[in-house]
Amino acid sequence: MAARETVKSACKNVRPLVSADFCEARRRALGLYRAIYRYIPYIVKHFDIPKSEEDCRWKLREYFYRNACVTDIRVIDMLVIKGYMELKEMKHMWQQKGHVMAHWNPTLEPKPYDFIGKFLEGID
Amino acid sequence: MLRQPLSRALALTSPVRAAPLTARRFADQVQAQPEKVEVFIDDQPVHVVPGTTVLQAAAQVGVEIPRFCYHERLAVAGNCRMCLVEVEKSPKPVAACAMPVMKGMRVKTNSDLTRKAREGVMEFLLVNHPLDCPICDQGGECDLQDQSMAFGSDKSRFTDIHFSGKRAVEDKDVGPLIKTIMTRCIHCTRCIRFASEVAGVDDFGTTGRGTDMQVGTYVEKMFLSELSGNIIDLCPVGALTSKPYSFAARPWETRRVDSVDVLDPLGSNIVVATRTNEVLRILPRTNEEINEEWLADKSRFACDGLKRQRLVSPMLVDSRGNLTPVDWEDAIVATARALRDCPPDKLLAVAGDLADAESLVALKDLVNKLGSENTCTEQYFPLEGAGIDLRSSYLLNTKIANVEDADFVLLIGTNVRFEAPLLNARIRKSFIHKETDVALVGPKVDLTYEYMHAGDSASIVKDLATGTSSHAVARRLEQAKRPVVILGAEQLRGPEGAALLAYTQQLALKLHDKLADKSWKVLNVLQRTASQVAALDIGYKPGVGGALQGGPRVVYLLGADSGVVTREALPKDAFVIYQGHHGDVGAQIADVVLPGAAYTEKRATYVNAEGRAQQTLLAVSPPGKARDDWKIIRALSEVVGERLPYDNLDEVRARMSEISPALVAYGDVQDNNYFAQATALAQSLQKSLSGKLDVKLKQLEDYFMTDPISRASPTMAKCIQAVIKQKQSPY
Amino acid sequence: MAGALTRVIQGTKPHLGIIGPLAINVNNVPVRFQQTQAPSKDKYGPLADSDRVFTNLYGRHEWRLKGALARGDWYLTKEILLKGTDWIVNEMKTSGLRGRGGAGFPTGMKWSFMNKPSDGRPKYLVVNADEGEPGTCKDREIMRHDPHKLVEGCLIAGRAMGAQAAYIYIRGEFYNEASNLQVAIAEAYQAGLIGKNSCGSGYDFDIFVHRGAGAYICGEETALIESIEGKQGKPRLKPPFPADVGLFGCPTTVNNVETIAVAPTICRRGGKWFASFGRQRNSGTKLFNISGHVNTPCTVEEEMSIPLKELIERHAGGVTGGWDNLLAIIPGGSSTPLIPKNVCETVLMDFDGLVAAQTSLGTAAIIVMDKSTDIVKAIARLIMFYKHESCGQCTPCREGVSWMNKIIYRFVDGNASPKEIDMLWEISKQIEGHTICALGDGAAWPVQGLIRHFRPELERRMQEYSAAHGPSKAERLY
Repeated sequence: MAARETVKSACKNVRPLVSADFCEARRRALGLYRAIYRYIPYIVKHFDIPKSEEDCRWKLREYFYRNACVTDIRVIDMLVIKGYMELKEMKHMWQQKGHVMAHWNPTLEPKPYDFIGKFLEGID
Repeated sequence: MLRQPLSRALALTSPVRAAPLTARRFADQVQAQPEKVEVFIDDQPVHVVPGTTVLQAAAQVGVEIPRFCYHERLAVAGNCRMCLVEVEKSPKPVAACAMPVMKGMRVKTNSDLTRKAREGVMEFLLVNHPLDCPICDQGGECDLQDQSMAFGSDKSRFTDIHFSGKRAVEDKDVGPLIKTIMTRCIHCTRCIRFASEVAGVDDFGTTGRGTDMQVGTYVEKMFLSELSGNIIDLCPVGALTSKPYSFAARPWETRRVDSVDVLDPLGSNIVVATRTNEVLRILPRTNEEINEEWLADKSRFACDGLKRQRLVSPMLVDSRGNLTPVDWEDAIVATARALRDCPPDKLLAVAGDLADAESLVALKDLVNKLGSENTCTEQYFPLEGAGIDLRSSYLLNTKIANVEDADFVLLIGTNVRFEAPLLNARIRKSFIHKETDVALVGPKVDLTYEYMHAGDSASIVKDLATGTSSHAVARRLEQAKRPVVILGAEQLRGPEGAALLAYTQQLALKLHDKLADKSWKVLNVLQRTASQVAALDIGYKPGVGGALQGGPRVVYLLGADSGVVTREALPKDAFVIYQGHHGDVGAQIADVVLPGAAYTEKRATYVNAEGRAQQTLLAVSPPGKARDDWKIIRALSEVVGERLPYDNLDEVRARMSEISPALVAYGDVQDNNYFAQATALAQSLQKSLSGKLDVKLKQLEDYFMTDPISRASPTMAKCIQAVIKQKQSPY
Repeated sequence: MAGALTRVIQGTKPHLGIIGPLAINVNNVPVRFQQTQAPSKDKYGPLADSDRVFTNLYGRHEWRLKGALARGDWYLTKEILLKGTDWIVNEMKTSGLRGRGGAGFPTGMKWSFMNKPSDGRPKYLVVNADEGEPGTCKDREIMRHDPHKLVEGCLIAGRAMGAQAAYIYIRGEFYNEASNLQVAIAEAYQAGLIGKNSCGSGYDFDIFVHRGAGAYICGEETALIESIEGKQGKPRLKPPFPADVGLFGCPTTVNNVETIAVAPTICRRGGKWFASFGRQRNSGTKLFNISGHVNTPCTVEEEMSIPLKELIERHAGGVTGGWDNLLAIIPGGSSTPLIPKNVCETVLMDFDGLVAAQTSLGTAAIIVMDKSTDIVKAIARLIMFYKHESCGQCTPCREGVSWMNKIIYRFVDGNASPKEIDMLWEISKQIEGHTICALGDGAAWPVQGLIRHFRPELERRMQEYSAAHGPSKAERLY
């Protein structure tokens, strides 16, 4: 509740982006989640990605949980807007397969943490 | 006895010139300080010793007077007239660099008269100076440029440029290191004074007079000195610039990293100038205790060797016996397998001349963990008697700066001039400015000053030590109040090395016993390489002779490039691991090559001949797949299964301080004692001496290539050619 | 150079404080060295024959020892030597003799600097016989025709300052003079006048002749010392002054030939006698060299303070084409500023008189120029000389004089801008007083004299040039 209080006080001071209060923002976020969730089968099909629907749902979940800590309504709104934009780009095939696959970062290699690993990588 | 032009004698012996030395005066040297006089610089009172010049007095209150010809380490010439200042009650401005202060003198460094005089001099200097700053290598670090901005006029009135133009002077060829553009010369004569006073090569001078005056060597001649590069720094304009560095970079583009030189045992302080991960040049960094502000030519110019002959990738011998580049994993695994499979007593580690203390510690720890005690260095030192147990036996105990205070220097089997050029410069300095005399036991070499030559037989040392010598040197040693004995470590190699050391220790002790000032150190051993002192401190055995007899199965060469370990000396199936940065002697015999970092590419500790730990800093990153040396050993240890307990530099240094706190006491040097104990332990070793003392570096051409870096340097190769060519010329 | 350059002493007089507590200002303040009140005279010259010091100036008599003895040289030298240092120095002070080399530093005082307590170093007397100043030809006459005066003077001066030896640095071009002098020295040695137990006074004194190699700058005292030491003749920094650190690092006094050569006569006839000539503080007799556009150029000994006009009319047969044909006179050798005719009418030939006329007595080498002279070219030629003789050691002289030379040769043609006249003046001021020795000053002064007195002439040439060739390039650039 305390968090909500602070949100309120913050909302008083700044002009809201879209949502007037946290409930509305939450509703929008859930709406986005639902929209993407429903579109996942089409993503798998249209982009022909080597991922299952389950993988995509986990990724979606991961993205939303990544921002779970965000409490600023304006930020939530902005993230939601960006999410819809992303969805729109996928729906209209403005994104390619590579863009979609980039969510799994296939080329990223884990940073070595042990001495030998760092030595072989040549990093200090 | 005065060894300098008489006119300069008085200027140089002024109390102020000796001032930097006052800090380390010894008991019998303490004199009553003359009463100070008060002078006023721009109305600020300052108390200075009589004999101080106006310029120095001004510096004490933070007023910098512009100058070109004045240099604090050279005699006063007073000819550029840039330092003219107004002195109250003097009708004309006086040259601040040469004018001694007088009681109550009122100096105005910013009055109209002073400013006018400076502006006038600046205008005259620019009259015949080609304004070719855009193509001048000195641009950006040019005194003339800076001072004309600060003190010059804002506009030119040199209309004659359109009538008769400026003076043009033919360039001189003074060798492959110094590029001369003599048209730019402003005749400050700093180079002349440096050559004759510090370098001891009286080849520079002026010819002609008036506007036709030229600085040069009269006949075309190479500047045959191991300190020649310093005149580049001294030249206030672009008349003398560095040939290898010509047109390479502007000073503001370069990144400057403070570091330490490792190409001679003194550990001169340097600044490494880099750009785009490339070492462009090396400049000296002032350190009164070691190199003042000079730098020897090899240290300065061998840096282009850092770009050639480098080992950039690990290499492994393939089935046909050729070294082929491989990945680090493969190299490490192959090395680790060899180490693990080797019986401990057949494992040998040899440290080379440029190894840093960190990797020395890591290698010794690894070898010890593997159960072997066979760690040794390439340079030899007798282990009989006190051996390396007492630090005083293998260090330059007097310390480099204190050599200036000596009144008699005895050199035994060392050509200091090429083994440690800046130590030689110190000896020359005290020879010239003080009454110091020098004697040499060893082959006759040119030390740039006169010395008494006692002969080259080792038995002379014995005679001196036992007091049976009737040579003049013996008498002088007896009378000396602050004698210094410097023994070249090179002489200890032979079978008589131990005896020679024992006699030298006895001689030093005998001299020391007679001294009034017991804090004065007499005995010095001049090591030949930058790594030796650290290696001995850490506990490496000096010399590989004995270890090779055991027929080692695996030999780990840590930058061992002196050619002490050869294929012929090893069993046929011996596995040779070479870790180092240059493809030199060591890499040629290796089965596996692990590329390491050179001294400009790592943060590493080196201990100089005095026992002073100093660290180099990372100026550029190691090329290709090369890695920090201690890390290679650390990684290896993990694969071998004897993991070393340090993962970063701080932990390595903590380990170093466990071994010896002196290794991480950067910049400090400790006084050594136990001379008497060392001598007592060596008593039994005093056998007869019959050999002759000989040194490797006799001539200037021997000096330039002594280690893997300088051997890879094209500049050094050019120097050798030029010196040999010069020696054939009639001049 | 035998002198004008020793003028450096003038510039460094504030430093004399180190040497002794002296209150001296050559220009206007009364000085302490002159105790005798000269008889107030209003007419100076002509000098009576009986009062001449140099009685064989024209070589009409024997110059060797025999002739010298006949003229009274070496008379009572022993007694003078035995009277001791203080007496001789005092007599010199009484005489009011000022250095004849150009700077006009009181000789008695200079000698007295040498009598500080000895620190074990030997002392030396150096005689500056490197007479190279254009227009000057007095020392050569002494050395050629009266060398024994110089030899005896060396002995007496050496005694006065306790010197062990005298070095006579003689200009390389003076071959006959050096040879005569060497003969005179040999005669003196043979007669026991110098050498061990000179004149039987118990005083040992040697004289060496050192021939120069023809550099004007070696007439500057410290350059001369360097040259004797075998180095390049380049002036040394002062302080330390030669009286502290001179030849071979020992206390040294450098004197002009004429100064030394008159010393015996002063000692014999008394300082009061010498002081009776000339105005106060400018006492004595002096050799004047008159050259240039006069009917009979000559070197003549005259009383100091003689009017310039009288000197020329009486001894040099007047200016060619009559006095009205006179354009200008350089009164003291090439390094002194010239004076135009109107000044020449009245000026008195002594130190103070010429300083008042913004010039200097220098070596008293009078160069007379009549109206046929191209005055700009004449001065330009002098600057060329200084440019050639500058040692190149210090910046203002090395660079400045050659720059002045370039400019003034354009002035000769008029190929310059009138603004450059002021610039030249400023350049000469930038050189003057900023150099180690006085050669820079000596090069700057003729230019200053020219601009001071002949500016309209310079401007006229520039106008003429621009009328003929269009405006000078310098005009457009400046």
